[in-house]
Amino acid sequence: MFSSRIRRVARGAMAVATVATLSTALVGIAHAAEKINIATLAFVSSAPLFIAKEKGYFADEGLDAELTFFRAAQPVSVAIASGDADFGVTAFTGGFFNLAAKGALKVIGAQLHEEPGYDGSAILVSNKAYDAGLTKVEQLAGHSFALSQVGSSFHYMIGNVAEKAGFDLASMELKPLQAVPNMIGALKTGQVDSMIIVPHIAKPLANAGAAHIIGWVNDYVPYQVGGLFTSSRNVEERRDVVAHFVAAYQKGVADYRAALLATDGNGKLVKSDTTDEILKIVHKYVYAEDPEEKAFPKIRNGAMFITQDAKLDVNDVKKQVKWYQDRGYVSKDANPDDFIDTSFIPPLEAK
Amino acid sequence: MSLDHLDPVKSMNEPVRFRAVGFNPRSNPLAAWGSFVVLIILWQIGCSTGFISELAMPSPVAVSKSLWQLIVSGELWVHLAASGQRLAVGWVLGTVAGLVVGFLVGMFSWARSPGVALVSALFPIPKIALLPLFIIWFGIGEPSKFATIGFGVFFPTVINTFGGVDNVARNLIRMGQSFDMSTWSIVRKIILPGALPTILSGFRISSSIAIILLVAAEMIGAQYGIGALILSAGSLYQTDQLIAGVVVLSVFGLAISWLLGRLDKWLLSWR
Amino acid sequence: MRLEISGVSHRYDQVEALRDINLTIEPGEIVALIGPSGCGKSTLLSIIGGLLKPSEGQITASGPVPDGCLNPLTYVFQDFALLPWRTVAGNISLVLEDHKLSKAERAARIDEVLEQTGLTDFRNAFPKQLSGGMKQRVGIARALAVRPAVLLMDEPLSALDAQTRILLLDEFAALFARTGMTAVYVTHNLNEAVRLAHRVVALRRRPGTIKEIHTIDVPIDQRQEGDPLIVAHETSLWELIRDEAIAADKELENVA
Repeated sequence: MFSSRIRRVARGAMAVATVATLSTALVGIAHAAEKINIATLAFVSSAPLFIAKEKGYFADEGLDAELTFFRAAQPVSVAIASGDADFGVTAFTGGFFNLAAKGALKVIGAQLHEEPGYDGSAILVSNKAYDAGLTKVEQLAGHSFALSQVGSSFHYMIGNVAEKAGFDLASMELKPLQAVPNMIGALKTGQVDSMIIVPHIAKPLANAGAAHIIGWVNDYVPYQVGGLFTSSRNVEERRDVVAHFVAAYQKGVADYRAALLATDGNGKLVKSDTTDEILKIVHKYVYAEDPEEKAFPKIRNGAMFITQDAKLDVNDVKKQVKWYQDRGYVSKDANPDDFIDTSFIPPLEAK
Repeated sequence: MSLDHLDPVKSMNEPVRFRAVGFNPRSNPLAAWGSFVVLIILWQIGCSTGFISELAMPSPVAVSKSLWQLIVSGELWVHLAASGQRLAVGWVLGTVAGLVVGFLVGMFSWARSPGVALVSALFPIPKIALLPLFIIWFGIGEPSKFATIGFGVFFPTVINTFGGVDNVARNLIRMGQSFDMSTWSIVRKIILPGALPTILSGFRISSSIAIILLVAAEMIGAQYGIGALILSAGSLYQTDQLIAGVVVLSVFGLAISWLLGRLDKWLLSWR
Repeated sequence: MRLEISGVSHRYDQVEALRDINLTIEPGEIVALIGPSGCGKSTLLSIIGGLLKPSEGQITASGPVPDGCLNPLTYVFQDFALLPWRTVAGNISLVLEDHKLSKAERAARIDEVLEQTGLTDFRNAFPKQLSGGMKQRVGIARALAVRPAVLLMDEPLSALDAQTRILLLDEFAALFARTGMTAVYVTHNLNEAVRLAHRVVALRRRPGTIKEIHTIDVPIDQRQEGDPLIVAHETSLWELIRDEAIAADKELENVA
């Protein structure tokens, strides 16, 4: 009885396989559903990808998109450089630029952007330091600062804040702690005086009285936090696939902006008709283990600004590369013009 | 043909064949160095021809350049000094504690079973997993780095020391007792020197562990140090600098091994 | 010094090694303990010197000890028990270091026993450089350095080759004759026993009890290798323990 069932299953599978082969062959003549592999993190920063997937924007563009989840940002760019994945979004770091300089990656669009008026990374100080009088960004000179690694985006942000706020970065004691949980732990226990962190971590920390927010990065600099990128090979050999992907991504970005970045006349964030729908979609991937009433505020806290049509702030990226190069974190031969491709999405116009 | 020599012997009329061939590998220092040279040449050829992509592995020339850069800029010495101090303090703390506990476990029944049980349970824990706790206990300054290395060194030292104490010939201890030597004299003059060969060979293991743990120790809040250099090079994809750091660690390991060899020769000349 | 062994019994877990041993060793007397393996002779020697606590009974030592005696009951071991990391002089020094001796006194004692055992030229050698016979001479020198009242010798020649054994046997005989030392000498070699002992105590196995005590009346320094009288003693001792030896030979190694 058991074996007959296996045989029946096998026969069924064969039938399906035959149909599948036939249909692929048929569709192939008209429009092949191109398989693409997207490397993502379970963060709100990947939300446009989740939206495009769930709302069928990839399918509409004739793409069979598969999402692969990574636990850290670094492997995302490595996976794409090595050809294991086709598309990804990640924050810009010295490491990313070095990898891009080796010619395997092309940045084709934007991820998050620090924009005045919207939530962005906060400058936090420990209770101990705050009580000792460190209440203004301008006073950060001479204090310790937690970051994941030298040459990370945290490093860049504090460097820019220092420049704008008029204190010397060299006077700060940088404490590389590898991972965000370590940074949080060190700040909570007062072992470091300060750090910069994304809003959905910063706000709960401040609300719980575990640290104080003394400023926001976007008060000092507009800043292209991260980008959408693919392999150089895809750009050269599968241009149409990239174009279709970009179109779907832009639709995801449009939904994201409409649902999570809507403001009233005073520039205050408000709920729109699509907010709940989009939150539900993102919740499938981000904070999935939390109930909606807990997850939704966290997602909203983490929903940073994304430019319209995911336009990349090319000038800012060039500025970043130069900053890292000046400090020896990025090799001199890294040329942004070589690894930024604006042929799919035009660059952001300077304001 | 292959089984010919297993045929029964009927009669003999020939010189006796020499049979003890092989199974006697000899060392050849020239071949040891030669293998390094050949490997590096092949590696460089692979990189120059593009067979090994720049992404996968930097070329020996690139590694040498970045090593040279570290040396002339003086950065290397800053890193080495920071790491050397952490290794020395961490290793000495772990070793002293390990020797004391190892002797207690090796000599006293009350320490034996609890000691062996605790060490067996705690030794396999990857110390890196405890890093967040170390930050809370010891902070993000030097103490947590000393602790990471010290804990890593402690457990193998305990195991090795009580193994060494166990291996001291019982008859020598009985001899000491038969001459009414004091317990302290027996420990100092019989057990300690008797366990010394095992303890010294344990030093080779614990010093390697200390170097391995250096990278873990310098994950937390280290601006300087070979481990910190390797970590930041890794996150910046400066693979040439990463390999340069690894080379420095490896040379560091060789130097320590050489020093321990000298120590062996000096302390164990009676062997 | 007189040693009185009274009612000594000893058990290792299930095995009864010794049962109710009573024996008195008079001052200046050499007593050999013989018997097949497993008769408890080494156990008895350990008990006499206080290295093993008997299950029952006790040992009483009484009488005067030599001048400058540091360790009245002193062992000479079968495996020499020398520290390989100390020189010949260092091994002797070891057993003096815990005592209140001035540096000069200690050095004098070391020189003296090295002289007595013919080791003066080897004082800075390490044990691994020495032959077995030389190693046991160091063991003897070390024992003499503490000026013992009684020498407890546990098969001191068993680890040596036949020629060396003959040489050392003569030296022991000369030593005992010269010093009039009290000694308990454990051996399985009857020839050694009849050359060195005033009384030979034959033990029986399972449990170890005294089978017979054999007295040899010839002064030790007059005994010669091949002397018919001595050979006769050896033969009669062999008759005494032969059956026991055969039984011991056929037995599987006891786990205890």
